[in-house]
Amino acid sequence: MKYPKEVHQIANDIRSMKIRGAGRIARAAAKALKIAAEKYEGPADVESFITYIDNIAKILLETRPTAVSLPNAVMYITSRLRRKRPVNVSEAILIVRKTADDFINYSLTATERIGLIGSRRILRGETILTHCNSTAALSVIIHAHRQGKNIKVYATETRPKFQGHITAKTLLAEGIDVTLIPDAAVRYVMKKIDKVIVGADTVAANGAVVNKIGTSNIALAAHEARVRVFVAAETYKFSPATVIGELVEIEERDPREIVDEKFLKENPNVIVRNPAFDVTPPEYIDAIITEEGLIPPQAAYLILIEKFGWVIQDYIISKYSLREEDEDWYQKL
Amino acid sequence: MKAQVLVSNLINNIVSWKIRSSTELVEKTLNTLERIIKESETLNALALNIIYTINEVVKVRPTAAMLINCSRDILLELRNVVSDKSKLSEAKEVLLNRIEKLKHRMISNIERIATIGANRIIPGDVIMTSAYSKTIMEIFKKALKQGKKFEVFVTESRPGDDGKIVASELSKLGLRVTLIVDSAMRYFMKYTSRVFLGAEAVAANGAVISKVGSSLMALIAHEARVRVFVAASTLKFNYETVFGELVEIPQAPEETILPREAKEKIGKNVKTEIPVLDVIPPEYVDAIITECGVIAPQAIPLLMRDLLKTWPPKAADINEIMNSILEVLKSG
Repeated sequence: MKYPKEVHQIANDIRSMKIRGAGRIARAAAKALKIAAEKYEGPADVESFITYIDNIAKILLETRPTAVSLPNAVMYITSRLRRKRPVNVSEAILIVRKTADDFINYSLTATERIGLIGSRRILRGETILTHCNSTAALSVIIHAHRQGKNIKVYATETRPKFQGHITAKTLLAEGIDVTLIPDAAVRYVMKKIDKVIVGADTVAANGAVVNKIGTSNIALAAHEARVRVFVAAETYKFSPATVIGELVEIEERDPREIVDEKFLKENPNVIVRNPAFDVTPPEYIDAIITEEGLIPPQAAYLILIEKFGWVIQDYIISKYSLREEDEDWYQKL
Repeated sequence: MKAQVLVSNLINNIVSWKIRSSTELVEKTLNTLERIIKESETLNALALNIIYTINEVVKVRPTAAMLINCSRDILLELRNVVSDKSKLSEAKEVLLNRIEKLKHRMISNIERIATIGANRIIPGDVIMTSAYSKTIMEIFKKALKQGKKFEVFVTESRPGDDGKIVASELSKLGLRVTLIVDSAMRYFMKYTSRVFLGAEAVAANGAVISKVGSSLMALIAHEARVRVFVAASTLKFNYETVFGELVEIPQAPEETILPREAKEKIGKNVKTEIPVLDVIPPEYVDAIITECGVIAPQAIPLLMRDLLKTWPPKAADINEIMNSILEVLKSG
């Protein structure tokens, strides 16, 4: 079957990282499904339409195997399409269009709401430590600043790729007092910090947060110093697959992000390892700030069931080759 | 060459982090002092040059306990020769002798620490370390010589990126070595069986002052129940004060983490804070390996008493010695 060229374009842009950032990837995928539905030219039966949408979902999912926002966006739409049992193709198309729009809207407003909710937690004159470059975490900081709370920010430089520089630039442009520190100095500065605010790549079912390497160092150092740790995460960062015990894969990136080609040539026996993320256990996190409100990390399951209940069921059904009609699927596991 | 030039070269090498290990820092300072002593033409000039050198180096690294302890020895000797109004040639001989003895002591200390430290490495160990420590390097070399098989994780150790040099040197010894970013300490601690760290100074309460990031590594090891060993000669004991937060930690220059071009892109108002060192509390250190043996950090006062034969430890303040020498020079 032929797929609209816009869909291929979006898939390529996600793959080549022209489209990056969890939110943008998710919205692009939702948009691709919406376009695909609108341009459907196949046979006029619901079964064929669902197969067509499933195939497009597969193309999209393969672009970035580790980003959780992507399967969440795609399955948010495909699960609803299946569960609403459309009677004809035009109704099915409507469902895809509407759920795609819903998802895009929800994602667009989420970061803003997180900023509002999170900023209430920041007191006047506080000093914040942040790591890497997280849109959601920055939204909290910027909201607090705009409320005139006169805050000061420490930003880690975030080796190997120096995303801390982008954070510093963004905050400086807002007129916020920013100090860059080496990643190794997080325990040294922790005494001066009132709150830690970081983003998340993925939130697992038990509330563990997968985020840029170094996040767990900071959370531990904060825990030791009794400094509160907040994770700003849109609900599409929560991983439905972890509910059924799947592990979150940690990507290891090119050593050349850490050392140059010359070093590698001169030191062929030095192994360079470059994991992109680490896992912060829930006990070091005081709260996760989502657009649905502030939750303890241990309540991540609640968000997952509320937001992705159907998605989780679909994961289970596909993983264990069950039929949708099997109401007692959980007993068969 | 004039003393000022020699000293300013030395200071530049310290501040720009070309001298990475605190042992090396003392060696280079002693070498500079040797040259200055040999080239001085009067007893007065000799005394003033020594005081000038020590004063300048201590100013940039007030935390370096071995530097202060060695300086104290030299200054006490200098005070003797100045008050005795010794002949220049005699004074030179006495002082050079003293420096020679200190150098010898440093070398033999490292040798003994290496032997003791290597005993704490067990075949199959995976050791994590950070920064460039001459003493730790010698421990690894010794363990390799004993034919022990082990591997090492080394952190990049910014500012200064010492870890790249450590990884390179260790791999050339035939050791299996993995370089990681500082942020990945906790990620890899799970696969680590022991942490070895060098020291800049050891305080009376057993706290260890070391390259920034060491205290984070010790905390992370503690969380993972991985043992932390610190290798430090007793020359690194800080007798004057209970260290802690009392002494200001020196800062590295901004360019060490933020080159000019990068700063221009971010905006000129961005600030930096780049501590060179941090403090490991004694509860995160399992043992300190000294030339007198392996000792719990909490037992440091015992060793201090044995070394100085007094308690509380009373070591003359180097500023006071310098002032008293200047008094003698003025009156004479």
